[in-house]
Amino acid sequence: MRIYCDLRRCLACGACELACAVEHSRSKDLFQAVLEGEEATARREVQPPPEPILSSPPIGGISLGCMHCDPAPCVDACITGAMHKEDGATIVDQEKCVGCWMCVMACPFGAITPSKLKVALKCDLCPDREGREGKARFACVEACPTGALIGGELEDFKKLLEEEVVLPIETYHHR
Amino acid sequence: MISDEEDPLYSRPLISYYLAGELPEEKLYYRPPDFYERNRIEAYLGRRAVRVEPGANRVILDDGTELRYDRLLLATGASPVFPEIEGLDKRGVFGFRTLKDAKEMLAMLPEVRQAVVLGGGLVGLKAAVGLHARGVEVTVAVSSPHLLSQMVDAGAAQIYRELLEAHGIKVATGMKPAEILGDGKVEGVRMESGEELPAQLVVVGKGVRANMDLVKDTEVRCEWGVLIDEHCRTSVENIYAAGDVAQSYDVVRGERWTNALWPCAVEQGRIAALNMAGKEAVYQGSMGMNSIQFFDLPVISAGRAGLRERDFDEEIIRRPRKDVYKRLVLKGDRLVGFVLVGEVEQAGLLRSLIAKGVSVRELKDRLLEPGFSFAQLMPILEREREKFTEREYLELQEALKAVAMS
Repeated sequence: MRIYCDLRRCLACGACELACAVEHSRSKDLFQAVLEGEEATARREVQPPPEPILSSPPIGGISLGCMHCDPAPCVDACITGAMHKEDGATIVDQEKCVGCWMCVMACPFGAITPSKLKVALKCDLCPDREGREGKARFACVEACPTGALIGGELEDFKKLLEEEVVLPIETYHHR
Repeated sequence: MISDEEDPLYSRPLISYYLAGELPEEKLYYRPPDFYERNRIEAYLGRRAVRVEPGANRVILDDGTELRYDRLLLATGASPVFPEIEGLDKRGVFGFRTLKDAKEMLAMLPEVRQAVVLGGGLVGLKAAVGLHARGVEVTVAVSSPHLLSQMVDAGAAQIYRELLEAHGIKVATGMKPAEILGDGKVEGVRMESGEELPAQLVVVGKGVRANMDLVKDTEVRCEWGVLIDEHCRTSVENIYAAGDVAQSYDVVRGERWTNALWPCAVEQGRIAALNMAGKEAVYQGSMGMNSIQFFDLPVISAGRAGLRERDFDEEIIRRPRKDVYKRLVLKGDRLVGFVLVGEVEQAGLLRSLIAKGVSVRELKDRLLEPGFSFAQLMPILEREREKFTEREYLELQEALKAVAMS
């Protein structure tokens, strides 16, 4: 189970990043979250398209977060046992984490943030949203304006990829 | 499971935090206290396996107990190497490997005003910083010209030397120990230069050697460690090895090497177990790598990052700020090593480039710039797709395919 990104639809607009940060803030409110500073850190990141542009039609970017890999290199690397698998998801127990950054070193996607609070931060599949239905189950999925993000298993992602993309995405450059 | 340590399963790297007073004993455990029970593991703690008889599928313990096995995993780790000098048997000389070492050092502290740490590697420096945090006057005596010479280059090492010295830890390089002085108890260390450093405690952090004695003169082939193949299997069909005792294929060096590191050990253990249980799993190989912090300044390095590495063609170094140092080591078109000090977020991406052995010719000048991200690697993913076989990469390929078809 993880968050997948449909590269035909991603605009790298950043709505998912913002929603993620707000969801992981104490207040879960945008304006208060801004005042909280470091605690409200997004666990996913939008990244502009690569250069040189891929051999296929250009993409708008990618929203990248923890891939909840199995086996997970970060789980092997973790010296405290804080990083562990729970029902397929890779979760860091923030009480156990000592901020050694072995997981940061291990993650092939660069999806773990070595936060100033000395704990590893990454996508935790929105535990506070458990029980919510549909897109609301994950903050990033809910926020995505083009429907590029989907939370679920590979079959769910493949179904999304089979859908014809109605709005053609025109690439644009961030800079 | 047989272990000569009596303590419940603790994380060895965490003993530095315990020594420094940053973590209490209860926070050192890697698994809950009922772990063995819950997993139906018969644990022989505080018992040492002294001999393996591959022909008879038998392990002999220090008290003569014989245990038979269908499959055996050697995970006996490694032990600190002590220099061949006089005085090692004096009271107050320690390796820094076990929780017991840490506890015994702490127990001596009331008698200790000054300590000398022999060795400027990770273990030595962690011991130094820990003792310093406990109020001891510490001198680190390093035989190399620089600290952390296995892990980083001179540029990064200098940053840490200045940092340690700014905190009051003395660093003396080019110093080889000749004798440990004292009458029954440690009183100091005499260096080859003749200089004498007073100390009531000496910590030796001069590397480790694999604990291979129990398979000495058997069919289990060893060099610097127990040699293992891509299934973590030794030269004997039903004996496997993992961790600091094992010598596995090093993806950077292209030969078998001992990389005595926690992440390598855990991965090897997991893969050995899968193979022992009859499920095939392939170990891609290890590489030297480490992540550590001293006085809150983090450093991560991997591959051919150390002081003495010569097998490279190009270095790219950036020092955007005094406490941020980044270095790439390239051989031909490939990344073969890196050092990141201060800003370490990209370590995993860089390490994956080393592990996959891909060409970074077009990317290399951007790897250390802000704005470098996983997305920048996607053309490489496409171009060298046969190297990216893990499920997560394949799923990304699906997404890219959909783009191509739209």
